[in-house]
Amino acid sequence: MANPLQTRVPATVAVRPKSGIKSKLFKSASNELIPPFWLWIGLILLSLFTLAPFVYLLLTSISPSNELLSGRIFPHSATFNNYVRLFTGSNAASYMAAAKNSVLVSVYTTLLTIFIGVFAAYALAKIKFPFRTTSLFAILAMQLLPSISLIVPMYMMMRNGIDIGIPFTGIVFFHTPPLLDTVAGLVVAYTTFSLPFAIWLMAGYFQTISKELEEASYIDGNGRLGTMFRIVIPLAMPGIAATAIFTMLSAWDEFMFASAFTQTDAAKTLPVAIREFIGKHSIDWGLMTAGGVVASLPPVIISLFLYRYIVGGLSAGGVKE
Amino acid sequence: MKKTATGGAFSALRLSPRAWKDTLLAILLLLPTIYILLKTFVSPIIESLVWSFYKYNLMDGSAIQYVGFRNYNQIFQMNEFWVSMKNTAYFTVFTVGAELALGFFCALLLNQMFRGRTFFRGIIIIPWAMLTLVNGLMWNWIYQPGYGGLTVVLHNLGLLSPDSNPVWLTNSTQIMTFASIADIWKMTPYMTLLLLAGLQSLNPALYEAAVMDGAGFWKKIWHITIPQLAPAMIVAVVLRVLGAFRVYDILTVFSNDPTTSVSFLTYNYAFRYFYLGRASAMAWISTIFILILIVIYIRMLKKNNELE
Repeated sequence: MANPLQTRVPATVAVRPKSGIKSKLFKSASNELIPPFWLWIGLILLSLFTLAPFVYLLLTSISPSNELLSGRIFPHSATFNNYVRLFTGSNAASYMAAAKNSVLVSVYTTLLTIFIGVFAAYALAKIKFPFRTTSLFAILAMQLLPSISLIVPMYMMMRNGIDIGIPFTGIVFFHTPPLLDTVAGLVVAYTTFSLPFAIWLMAGYFQTISKELEEASYIDGNGRLGTMFRIVIPLAMPGIAATAIFTMLSAWDEFMFASAFTQTDAAKTLPVAIREFIGKHSIDWGLMTAGGVVASLPPVIISLFLYRYIVGGLSAGGVKE
Repeated sequence: MKKTATGGAFSALRLSPRAWKDTLLAILLLLPTIYILLKTFVSPIIESLVWSFYKYNLMDGSAIQYVGFRNYNQIFQMNEFWVSMKNTAYFTVFTVGAELALGFFCALLLNQMFRGRTFFRGIIIIPWAMLTLVNGLMWNWIYQPGYGGLTVVLHNLGLLSPDSNPVWLTNSTQIMTFASIADIWKMTPYMTLLLLAGLQSLNPALYEAAVMDGAGFWKKIWHITIPQLAPAMIVAVVLRVLGAFRVYDILTVFSNDPTTSVSFLTYNYAFRYFYLGRASAMAWISTIFILILIVIYIRMLKKNNELE
């Protein structure tokens, strides 16, 4: 291959050399792989590839439509008019309703998932009982199954309402009204899919907490539950936070269930609203991209600020998306 | 995961009182989860297996009747189904292949030490965090003929003569290719982050040893990086295949053609025509395919754990 890439002599660890700039540029440090010159070429390409489409989206959202239709990328007269129209125009009410539903659905889903999942994860990670490994792998399999496997029967379940009672006895405490086109229906659907994944991820974090700490807690007179609440859960808080973030992001992003189960402003979420945009405002790209930017801001900002948790979660749990 | 309870049901009967107490507590803690998942996951999916053997049309008022394997036979004889399979396979192979190659090199770059690394590691999360539908919308806008970003940039760079104005999304191959590019843009960071985690456990001393042996860049990659990273790569690829095979949402932005993916076709039969029997059968074909992948994945995880 190209000569500059090869390193014949072991180079010393680069400490910003003043002389021999050229050879330093093309030579990697002995414990590194890529020489500085190619590293920066790569990084420039990486940034272009990553940022160009996103910056283009932002620029489009602040461009007046006549400039967009004449093929201008950098707007001459930047304007926030598209955002103003998004929040005050004819579709503002519908968009705001979708934003509100998205917030409600993702917050409720996250709370429910974490609250239920944390106990199951503790049991699976910290208590020895028969079929534990099998249960864990069943949970993993559920996490990886696609929504399409479940969407048809779940639609019928939402259409008929759900019985809450004791299984196999015919005792029903409560029968929900039909849940199609309700926030509650989406919360049920999303919790079903988040729960296995959240349990898998949190169980992984719980397993990293050392046995010694738990044993010390037993000696202090705490029982199992006391140890769980005083030692294990507080120590695993970063993991629980990561799980909560993933649950929230996936609920925010979900489209298939939302488009099948919701029709009106009562329950439709932002992805559904964005999909409708494409049909409704066929060439009003300024407005559409403004809507897209607003819908994407929460997950993008959350991910940038909580980067550490996201990366930890990705590598720990094998998150599917 | 540690190995426990391999004896299964038989050892369960021979537990000590302390173990019984633990088991009871575990069941108690698991009860809400078990209840919810039985109710909303396990029993519906079994129900849909049952429906897949019935003629069950929700909207035309016809009777529900048992038809054996007729739904499955019909699906396998449908041209639409095979077209959608072909498109899904194309999408899966193209996106996962490109994401693996690009993600690998991005991970190599970001694993080195350099000034501003945090910044570069940070920006790659933007595509991943964006809404899938907004990603679709954005690329749809980029591909617009005449004034979309792709055409304008190609015109400005002189790669496209000023009077030529191609329509990028005409036939299904083009739609699949351009939708794949959108997916590659969004999911390469995910691959990068998974591989980056794998790279961090790679010992740099191995590179020093290779340099002593006179190995260049490609030799180092081929003989050290790839073998060392193989377990992480396989896990990442399996996860991405599972994700790509189910593709639905991004395609709806580019096309109204349900044969662009199996999920799309299934969705269409379920919620456009309300042929629940046939849709269930089709969903189960996907489910079985994915279950096979899941079993392979779990075996790999188990093997990796035993090695550790």
